[in-house]
Amino acid sequence: MNFESAPQPIDILLVEDNEADVRLTQEVLTDSKVRNNLIVANDGAEAMACLRRQGKFQNSARPDLILLDLNLPVKDGREVLAQIKEDANLKTIPVVILTTSKAEEDILRTYKLHANCYITKPVDLDQFVTVVRYIEDFWLAIVKLPSNHKS
Amino acid sequence: MNHHRIKVLLIEDNPTDARLIQESLSEASDDPFDLETADTLAGGLQRLSAGGVDAMLLDLALPDSFGQETFVRAKAQALGVAIIVLTGMHDDTLALKLVQGGAQDFVAKVDVSGNNLTRAILYAIERERLEQEFRKLNEELEKRIWDRTSELEAANRELEAFSYSVSHDLRAPLTHLHGFSSLLLDNHASQLDEQGQRYVRKIKDGVLRMSSLIDDLLTLAKVSRQELRRCEISLNSLVEEVMKDLESETSEREIRWLVGSLPMIECDRGLMRQVLVNLLSNAIKYTRKREHAVIEIREDVIDGKKTIVVKDNGVGFDMKFADKLFAPFQRLHREKDFEGTGIGLATVQRIIHKHSGRIWADSQPGLGATFYFTLGSEITNQSTKLTAQVVPA
Repeated sequence: MNFESAPQPIDILLVEDNEADVRLTQEVLTDSKVRNNLIVANDGAEAMACLRRQGKFQNSARPDLILLDLNLPVKDGREVLAQIKEDANLKTIPVVILTTSKAEEDILRTYKLHANCYITKPVDLDQFVTVVRYIEDFWLAIVKLPSNHKS
Repeated sequence: MNHHRIKVLLIEDNPTDARLIQESLSEASDDPFDLETADTLAGGLQRLSAGGVDAMLLDLALPDSFGQETFVRAKAQALGVAIIVLTGMHDDTLALKLVQGGAQDFVAKVDVSGNNLTRAILYAIERERLEQEFRKLNEELEKRIWDRTSELEAANRELEAFSYSVSHDLRAPLTHLHGFSSLLLDNHASQLDEQGQRYVRKIKDGVLRMSSLIDDLLTLAKVSRQELRRCEISLNSLVEEVMKDLESETSEREIRWLVGSLPMIECDRGLMRQVLVNLLSNAIKYTRKREHAVIEIREDVIDGKKTIVVKDNGVGFDMKFADKLFAPFQRLHREKDFEGTGIGLATVQRIIHKHSGRIWADSQPGLGATFYFTLGSEITNQSTKLTAQVVPA
């Protein structure tokens, strides 16, 4: 498949409290064919601050895609998801749940909260790379999203 | 009861009837009754709430209430008090209805005489007492069941929480182990000698094995907790579906499939699918070293019971280990020869047991293995004839 290369890098918000997971996702995204800026929020409260450009995130770009872990300290992923999807300005940003959980209750609950998709992070790194490529291909190249105002 | 004075409350608005009953009662041989009278339901219920009443003689046609409603209202407030309904006429249908609703007896006023009214009251009181005792026992039993159920529910919730945390928290460190081992090999291989690289690959293998163990254990745990959702399915189409799923394992193999005409069965489709996936992928795995693998699935009648048979011509096993076959983590082959977690057949057995069925196996080393299962009485359709069809692998 041949995708038009984006004129400007894609902004991805990764909401993940575990440093090792952040590092692995960074590694995988560094090799990506889609130019991207990765913004990391370490818990739910930080994620909301980032999305609302508060505090240290005052100058952050509005992300094109959110990768959201579920079990987070302070404010957990389900709450973050609910708040994003209740917010008229934020709800158009696709939220990909990326978690190690395969639990059916998590899957059902997050879709009920309007998650855009739910992906179980594979244990195998090669498979994880494949999954991230699919996420990029699908959400950043195949689908048409509403044009957002990045200002 | 007979040694005490028995307090009887008569609710009757007709003074003539009231007097008739009063006289009948005083005629009774040892006159054990103290009678009080009320001429409205409201008055009667007020007296009732003051307590001490053993039995109530209730006329249904009162100035403030009529018919069955009178009884229902009285009954609602007369816990432990025997109610004998008095009526001016014979009405067996109503009588039966009221007795079913908790009246202890039903006496037509025309039949009232000292002896039969006395007997009716005494027996009614005794029946009411037994009924109360029975109700109390029943309530105690219900409470014990309730308590036990709550305990079980709590244990189940804990188990749910446990498998949830296994699902999420145990898997996360594995992704790190595998991820960083991979990065070590991909990006820093030059700093590791041949042996070092081999060790890292072993770490990765171990992680993947751990990961499939966790998945299989969670499946096993889920099978135990899951409620059956039974429906009637065609075993033939399920077998076909599973064979398609297993194509990635069979595409480079020559396997002769003999699929007989299988019955419609009543079962939980998702769980039965797991049974077939496990049995068929085992058959595929253990025939791996055969040049001409043959896997047969058919219906048979064994000991008068319809039985599904899955037979292969693979390596088989020694029957002296047959009892270990279905125990979790028990493997009869070395990991080096045949990979596996040893949880598959344990899961299969649990599913079959959940369907009130039985599963067993028969084998000789080198001569293949045959698995048999029944599904209680759930195999529905009669079709025992084997019509072999060869499906290309």
